Amino acid sequence: MHLQRLSLRRFRNLGVQDLEFPPEGVAIVGDNAQGKSNLLEAIYYLETLRSFRGAPDMQLVEFGSDVFRLVGHLGGTGVSVEVSAAFQKKGKRKKVTMGGVEPDRLSDALGSLSAVVFSPSDVELVSGGPGDRRRFLDILLSLNEHGYLLALQDYRKVVARRNALLKDDQAAELIAAFDHGLIRTGARIMLSRLRWIENRREAFCHYYSTVSGGSRASMSYRPSFALGPAGSLDDVADAFREAIASTRDRERRVGSTVVGPHRDDVRLRLGDEGEDLDLRDFGSGGQRRTAALALRMVEARTVRESRGEEPIVLLDDVFAELDEGRSERVLDLMEREETGQVVLTAPKDADVRVRSDSLPRWRIRDGMIAS
Amino acid sequence: MSVIDQLSTELARLPGIGPKTALRLVHHLLKGSREQPRRLARALEEVADRVRACRVCGNFTEHEECEVCVNPRRDASIVCVVEEAFEVGAIERTGQYRGLFHVLGGHLAPLDGVGPNELNVASLLGRIRDARGGVNEVILATNASVEGEATAVYLEEMIRPMGARVSRLARGIPVGSDLEYVDGTTIAEALAGRREM
Repeated sequence: MHLQRLSLRRFRNLGVQDLEFPPEGVAIVGDNAQGKSNLLEAIYYLETLRSFRGAPDMQLVEFGSDVFRLVGHLGGTGVSVEVSAAFQKKGKRKKVTMGGVEPDRLSDALGSLSAVVFSPSDVELVSGGPGDRRRFLDILLSLNEHGYLLALQDYRKVVARRNALLKDDQAAELIAAFDHGLIRTGARIMLSRLRWIENRREAFCHYYSTVSGGSRASMSYRPSFALGPAGSLDDVADAFREAIASTRDRERRVGSTVVGPHRDDVRLRLGDEGEDLDLRDFGSGGQRRTAALALRMVEARTVRESRGEEPIVLLDDVFAELDEGRSERVLDLMEREETGQVVLTAPKDADVRVRSDSLPRWRIRDGMIAS
Repeated sequence: MSVIDQLSTELARLPGIGPKTALRLVHHLLKGSREQPRRLARALEEVADRVRACRVCGNFTEHEECEVCVNPRRDASIVCVVEEAFEVGAIERTGQYRGLFHVLGGHLAPLDGVGPNELNVASLLGRIRDARGGVNEVILATNASVEGEATAVYLEEMIRPMGARVSRLARGIPVGSDLEYVDGTTIAEALAGRREM
């Protein structure tokens, strides 16, 4: 699957443009603040229906306009699909169509592009708080695992209601009434996350080692309560139930639910397993960026496995902060992994070295693209 | 404010009706004979004046007690608990249920300040207690939402010690749908709640 055409209508500073993308991809070169990242943001919007930079929809509409609209034409083996997304400031209305039809739920349209975005802010995945890593897992699993998003939405609802009761110091029976839903949805979320980490820890290690030129790092899931080797949903649910029972006093004191997937974390460590050097605390800038890159590579692999096609890879100025050796090894890796279409941005021509310089170049200035 | 505006404002307060639909309804009512809007007004008035909650179960009725509660042929050993009174009608239309009802008037909603005291929970527990073992089974037919589930769990904890059997409506594949089009969560629920043939 690759992006064939993209119609931009008043998204950020990109104005009104219709772009034809080559199947192998394109390198977009331009000075800072010309709109390079905006273009990648527009493409990835069709995958997650929101900004990968965390911007609210209101901010994505061109200054002075009311509506933005994006239409992407995706081509695969003999098929072409049209995906569109539009947002209107007035009334805050979002409209999405797939093949011209509005899906029943917005969430049914998630993941229709099969894309992965690499950006300099990914380093937050490693150096940021646990919330950043949970968000990474939640977006990834929502896009690639059926039923995950629904469980996550229900879980958040239960936690909010349960916390309101705890803050209000309500009767124990009332709080316990929400335990059932908390455990049912929470265990489902935890098991999916655990399995994902378990199945991809080797891949993470491999990517980290390749990009860093032989160093080692590991990743593991760190639940907020003691959890034995989790075999089944029932095992996780039982452990969760026990953890809730043993924290009743504490959650009363704090006024919120203190254990569960909303408190879990992913541990990223330097060295071999068993060594305890947390990348967040002890990693250098380069090591953290390498780990973040490895996480995105694992994400790309997940997309490939779950949807059976090469993901579109969006690289937002990722080489700017890597040393030369690391940049080259990332490029090597990308070529060997047989990535699909690559859309990359860079401020200077010299930074564009993917596919032996074979990618066509586009220039961007004030949001306008010249091929 | 003109009387036309007044009426369309009132209509726009109803669920699913926006200002434009409200205005269209008003125009429609003014177009034909004046008998239609008068009939509608009388029907609205009668509903407002005569319909009230059944003293026993909270269902809609025009008397002290509802049709279901006073019917001697209904099985008083089974009580089906629903969130809203209009859900009684949904179950009645199936013609499959011969027991009694109890209307909660909502579900537990901590964010809206709705607890057991705001719902008809005490009257439900009182009914079961007063029946002195006469109620064998309580069917919890709350919605499949997060709050509906919590409401059912809460009621179960309260009712079970009183000796009645407590059951919940089965969740699963809608009748007449193809398995391949049913979402994963629903299939998982249906698998967990499967029964022997």
